[in-house]
Amino acid sequence: MEYQTTIGIEVHCELKTNTKMFSSAKNGYGTTANSYVNIIDLGYPGALPIINKGAIELALRAALVLNCEINKKMHFDRKNYFYPDLPKGYQITQARTPIGIHGYVEIDTPNGKKKIGIHDIHIEEDTAKSIHTAESSLLDFNRAGVPLIEIVTEPDMNTKEEAMAYVEKLRELLLYANISDCKIEEGSMRCDVNVSISKTEKLGTRAEIKNIGSISNIGLAIQKEVERQQEIYENGGTIQEETRRFDEKKGKTVLMRVKETGNDYRYFPEPDIPYVVLTEEEIESVKRMIPILPNVRRDFYKAHGMSDINSDKLIQNRPLSDYLLKAKENLDYVIASNLLLGDISAYLNKEHKEIEETMLTIEKFESLVDKLASKEITSKIEKEILVDLLEKPMSVEEALKEHHLTLVNDTKVLEEIVTNIIKQNQESVQDYKNGKDRALKYLMGQIMKETKGTANPVLVNELLIHLLNEE
Amino acid sequence: MSNYLDLSIQEINNLLKKKEITPVDLVEECFRRIESNEDLNAFITLNKEQALEEAKALADVEVDNLLFGLPIAVKDNIVTKDLRTTCASKMLENFVPIYDATVVEKIKAKHMIIVGKANMDEFAMGSTSQTSYFGSPRNPWNKNCIAGGSSGGSAAIVAARLTPFALGSDTGGSIRQPASYCGLVGMKPTYGRVSRYGLVAFASSLDQIGPMTRNVYENALLLNAISGHDDKDLTSSYNQVEDYTRLIGKEIKGMKIAVPNYFMSDIVDSEIQDKVREVIECLKQNGATVDYIDIDYVENAVTLYQIIAMGEASSNLARFDGVRFGYSAPDAQNVEELYLKTRETGFGDEVKRRIMVGSYLLSGENAVTYYNKALSIRDDMRKSFRKAFQTYDLIIGPTTTTVAYSLGQDLDDPMKSFMDDVLVIPVNMAGLPGMNIPIGMNQDHMPIGLHIIGNQFEEAKMYQLASFLEKELNLDLDRKERS
Repeated sequence: MEYQTTIGIEVHCELKTNTKMFSSAKNGYGTTANSYVNIIDLGYPGALPIINKGAIELALRAALVLNCEINKKMHFDRKNYFYPDLPKGYQITQARTPIGIHGYVEIDTPNGKKKIGIHDIHIEEDTAKSIHTAESSLLDFNRAGVPLIEIVTEPDMNTKEEAMAYVEKLRELLLYANISDCKIEEGSMRCDVNVSISKTEKLGTRAEIKNIGSISNIGLAIQKEVERQQEIYENGGTIQEETRRFDEKKGKTVLMRVKETGNDYRYFPEPDIPYVVLTEEEIESVKRMIPILPNVRRDFYKAHGMSDINSDKLIQNRPLSDYLLKAKENLDYVIASNLLLGDISAYLNKEHKEIEETMLTIEKFESLVDKLASKEITSKIEKEILVDLLEKPMSVEEALKEHHLTLVNDTKVLEEIVTNIIKQNQESVQDYKNGKDRALKYLMGQIMKETKGTANPVLVNELLIHLLNEE
Repeated sequence: MSNYLDLSIQEINNLLKKKEITPVDLVEECFRRIESNEDLNAFITLNKEQALEEAKALADVEVDNLLFGLPIAVKDNIVTKDLRTTCASKMLENFVPIYDATVVEKIKAKHMIIVGKANMDEFAMGSTSQTSYFGSPRNPWNKNCIAGGSSGGSAAIVAARLTPFALGSDTGGSIRQPASYCGLVGMKPTYGRVSRYGLVAFASSLDQIGPMTRNVYENALLLNAISGHDDKDLTSSYNQVEDYTRLIGKEIKGMKIAVPNYFMSDIVDSEIQDKVREVIECLKQNGATVDYIDIDYVENAVTLYQIIAMGEASSNLARFDGVRFGYSAPDAQNVEELYLKTRETGFGDEVKRRIMVGSYLLSGENAVTYYNKALSIRDDMRKSFRKAFQTYDLIIGPTTTTVAYSLGQDLDDPMKSFMDDVLVIPVNMAGLPGMNIPIGMNQDHMPIGLHIIGNQFEEAKMYQLASFLEKELNLDLDRKERS
């Protein structure tokens, strides 16, 4: 029998708040060390925690996004241990009443969709940052008290691909719901992975790999850890519960410390913070603030014929995806996505603008897409008027007029032009009659050239074929 | 030599208003008194220069309230900006806070003048003030006796009339018991009535700051000044602040009073029981009804208290690690050693004992066996008190089982100091307001106190009864002549 791998993941995410979890000090990244600090963050004698309502709201949003049951009456607990980066000698966390429980995240696997269970999501405060130099250890308290959520999965993953897909999906969700920056490199998202292998139903002893620095390294670390554990079992050894880290240079996991049995954090309810009660109304209002999530968008795009590539690109480009959310349902989403990701993106990148900063209202955009879809205008015309549409408060019709680009739909006028072109290009007519398709395209091009692209291409095409057949 | 500080607060206020005296006169007189009573060892830090400066600065400020310009002593576990705050511990021997506690801001807003920081038990852990790193304060009624604790310095200061006002803190009787031993009025308000922001935490779910004064009226006035919701303390109450003097002087006819049987059992000295019975008779004669009742679990209160208070204390005191502030062992080779040496030498024996017991009580399964169980019995005790207050306006009994005893007595018995607080601790456990008023002397002329317990946020009613008894008993409690 093969070894079965079991993986559980704990993710810590810094919440995108203005201030810290239990103090009014600023929550920010990359400033001078110890500048975003007050007496609460330093655990000063006499200082007491306050509660950041914004952080509770973001955590609630996360719990809802991860399909959790909400603890409507929750309290905080103290986790007691000594470490220089822990100013009070305890961390305020939620041990007994996490804000969310029994949730799930759905991932795609080769065998279809799979639900990864979320055991719980709880709120806690970050520690200070230790910086070790040759002579001394330094402490930066900017990070002390930054609001965190910890998301703990059930041991529901069995391959490194599933683990990576889970973290990828989680990251996408938290980013989309504006909960966290999720920057793994900057530490605003930190992943600890628990790995065990077993040949029986009973789970093997797990090793925890702490703080893996990227999603690809999560895959690599799991692979190397599984290999390590297999080798130990194959050689008749036993695995002990331990904490490891992934050494990128060595390309393997290395031991940090063996876990002591019954790590004693002396949890007890935080007496400085009364129960936090979430009402049904509060939960509802937070629910309403959750943006439409990527999987919903993806399904919609797919149903409207958009390619997977365009769909992914749009999901990654949040402002464009949000913009498109406002469009009517019966739009040609293929043309719309091509337009957004092509000419419009090119313009926005060049001008360093966001779509919402331009004059292209969603109504104008819809009208442009409709005209392209009905072949009322060509993409050449679209390109000519696009900058005006983006920069000026004019409608598509106004822009076409301004550029003298109103389509010629008058059959009589067109017939004359087509007849002339046929006369002038007898060689191509002969080619067409000899079955050369290229000739038709050439003739179309000549007509468009003559009309500076203003001829209705649908009408021209019909007329041309009709007249050629009469020749 | 003037003795303005012996006058009533209204008289002083009139003199200030008429500009016959200035706050400087009051502060100078206060320091004369303090300096001639140094043997009481009631202060840890004096604030003379700053106090005089503040008094001078008040010369042109309108006298806008009764507390204006009056000297006050602040227990040394309440942080004061730029004024050393030691918690009577070597750990904070040189600790100068960078902010004011909310209560300190409030008394400063009334233009009261902080003359110094009062001695106490180290980190408020004790009931005799003998665990102070700076030596024990003495009882002005008999300097060989304890002033009680943990707010022993505050009690001695007011009893000796060094200042008319002091702030204390009460986790398990630390305002009321020394107030009883020293013969003054001490109030532990309802939990949440006064902000704890800036009070160095001992047991967060029990700690409460309160006023210690010469008389009932002045006590209520100071409570008016320090009460109210504080955004900086999530456990502070939104319950509206009322004028706590409003029922003072009102008759007590029809008042329903209960006396828990346990409070009058043989754990209490007979002399004290007798005094309380006299009071009960007096109340009855004046139209109050007095019934003896039972409150569930009061006899377990000390045990519950030890579990909850020590558990919380072990966590609250973890921040004193030598890393960011306070004492830091100078010769540590690594972090582990820094922790061990700092805490070994920085804390006194009683504090270390409580941290160790508290840590044990919260360890692993013990948290469930002890801490959680204590919380649930505490709830039951609360309910029992609540039930009593459905029938009764107030509960009374003695504040202490004995009068103040000799310094040094029973120092090697760690349980003794808890048993001193057996009657006051249940009030903290129930989050109720409790106060001490003096009701007489024993045969050795040491003060005896009455404990008045009210329902939540009914401090005004307690002051009503207290002021009635104060007037009725008309005790001469001025210790100035003797000292």
